[in-house]
Amino acid sequence: MERKWIGTAALFVLPALLLFITFTYYPFIRSLYYSFTTWDSIRKPVFIGLDNYAFLFEDRKMIAAAMNTFKMALFGLLIQNPLAIWIAVLLNRKFVTGYFLRAAVFFPVIISLVVLSVVWSQILSYEGTLNLVLNQLGLSGWVRDWLGETNTVFITIILLTQWQGLGYCVIFYLAGLQSIPADLYEASRIDGAGAIQRFLKITVPLLMPTITIVTFLIIVGGLKLFDIPYILTSGGPGTASYTLALAIYNAAFRENNAGYSIAAGVVLMLIIMVITFIQLQITRRREVEM
Amino acid sequence: MVRKRRNPTDIAIEVGLFLFACVLLYPIYFLYVGSFKSPAIFYDPFAFPKELYWGSFAIVFEKVKLLDGFFNTIVIMSFSLVSIVVICSMAGYAIARVKNRWFQAIYYLFLSGMIVPLQTTMVTIFKMGVSIHLIDTRTFMVLLYAAGAIPIATFIYVGFMKSIPKEIEESAFIDGCGPMQSFARIVLPLLLPATGTILITNVTAIYNDFMGPLLYLKSESKMTLMPQIVQFYANKQSMDYGPVFALSALAVLPLILLFIFTQKYMIKGLIVGSLKG
Repeated sequence: MERKWIGTAALFVLPALLLFITFTYYPFIRSLYYSFTTWDSIRKPVFIGLDNYAFLFEDRKMIAAAMNTFKMALFGLLIQNPLAIWIAVLLNRKFVTGYFLRAAVFFPVIISLVVLSVVWSQILSYEGTLNLVLNQLGLSGWVRDWLGETNTVFITIILLTQWQGLGYCVIFYLAGLQSIPADLYEASRIDGAGAIQRFLKITVPLLMPTITIVTFLIIVGGLKLFDIPYILTSGGPGTASYTLALAIYNAAFRENNAGYSIAAGVVLMLIIMVITFIQLQITRRREVEM
Repeated sequence: MVRKRRNPTDIAIEVGLFLFACVLLYPIYFLYVGSFKSPAIFYDPFAFPKELYWGSFAIVFEKVKLLDGFFNTIVIMSFSLVSIVVICSMAGYAIARVKNRWFQAIYYLFLSGMIVPLQTTMVTIFKMGVSIHLIDTRTFMVLLYAAGAIPIATFIYVGFMKSIPKEIEESAFIDGCGPMQSFARIVLPLLLPATGTILITNVTAIYNDFMGPLLYLKSESKMTLMPQIVQFYANKQSMDYGPVFALSALAVLPLILLFIFTQKYMIKGLIVGSLKG
C-alpha cells in the first residue's frame, strides 16, 4: 500500500508546492539578484555589487525610518509589554461584566488599519476630541496639531497603534495566564507569599514563553508598520514619521529605484531572521519545565 | 450555589477596567455617530445627532462604487479561502502521513516562507504579474493570498493531523475507499477545527488588507473596500469627513458582526495565525 500511496501523496502536495515556488520562492531568489543591481523595474537591471546595501547606511530617509522603528521597539518593550501583562492579570478573574470587558479589549484588533487611521485622524485633529478634552481639563498648553508637528507625530502614531496593539498582546497574555495551574497560586498562598511575590515568582517565569513571543510580534509589527503613516502623514512632516516598510515602498513605487528598494527589503528580512533566531534561543532557555 | 462576597479591591478593579473599556470603544462609537451627523455638527466631537442624518451615506453611494467594492472583496476573499483550505489540507495530510525525507524537505521549504516579508518580494511579484498578464486581476490576488497562507496553514494542518489516528484511514482503505475518497470523506471533516482557525485568521487578514490591492490592483472596477476608503479619504472630494466616516462604518460592519458571533474562535485564530512573521 505504501508505494502506491506515495504517488498519491505527491499529487496532494503538488498544488501547494507549485504555488509556493511560483509566488514565494522564485520571486525571493529573483529579488536576491535584483538587490545587487540598479534597476528602475522597466529597463534591464545593471549589476552594481553591494552599492545598494552600502547606500542604505547613508540614506537619511532609511536612517530616520530605522530610528523610528527602534523607538517603537523600545516603547513596545518598556511600556506596551508590561502594560499588557498588567491588564491581562487584572482581566484574569471573574467579573460581572467580564464578557463585555474582554470583548472591548479585543474588539479593536479586528478593525482595519485603514479605518483606524480615518477615525483617529479626526479624534487627533486640531479641533478634534483630544484637544477639546485637554482644553476642558485646563491643559490648553498641551493642545497641538498632534499629527502635524515634527516632535509629536511619531509618538502619536506609536500611541495610536496601542489602540489595537494592547488588546492584541492581552489576548496572548490571557491565554498564557490561563494555562498556569491555579493550585500553584494556592500552594504559594498557604506558604505565605504576597501578591507581588506570587507575581514575580510564579506568573512572570511561567509567562516567559508568551513574553518572548509577544516581544517578537511587537518588534516585527513595528518593522512592517505601513498603513498608518502611509494614510495619515506620508511619513512626514519631513521624515519624522517614516517607517522601514514605507521607505521601501516609496523607493520602489515613488522613486522608481527598484533594486535599492529590494535591497532594503532583504535587509528587513535579515533583521526578522536575526530576531526570530534570538527569540527561539531565549524561549528555549527560559521556558520553565513543568 | 454559594456566592463569594466580592471585596472592594475587585469592585474597584472592575470599575477601572470598565472605564478603560469605554475609552477603547470610543473610536467605534465616534465612527458610527459621526456617520449620522449632519455637516453642521460634524466637527463638534461631542455633539449627538438629534435625528439620523442619511446625507453622508447618500454621498457615499453616489461617489464610491461601494457595491463593486463589497463584491470584489467578498469574491477575492471567498476564492482565496477555498483555495487555502483545499490546497493546504491536502499538503498537510500528505506531509503528516508520509515519513519520507523529500516530504520533510518540502515541509521545511514551506516553513521557511514564514520569515520572508512582503517587502522583500513585492517589486519582483509586481514585475512578474506584469509579464504573465495577471497584474490588476482578481485572480492574481487570489493566487497571492493562497500562496502567502501556505506556510502557516500547512503548519496548522500538519500539527493537527498528529491528533488523528492513522487507523481511521487504513480501515477506509481496506473497505475499498481510494486515497482521494478517504481524504475527502474521512480526513477533511476531521480537520474541521484546524480549518476553522485557518479561515478566521485569513478572513480578517484578507478583508482588512490594504497593501496587497494597493500594489497589485489598479482598475476602479476591481478595487476592494480598503483602498476605496483610502482613495475617498485622500481625494477629499466632499471636503467634509461625514461621508468618509459613513463609508468606513459600512465597510467594517461585516467584520464587526462576525466578531460578535464568533468571538471565541476569532481570538483563538488570531493567536495561532500570528506565527507568521
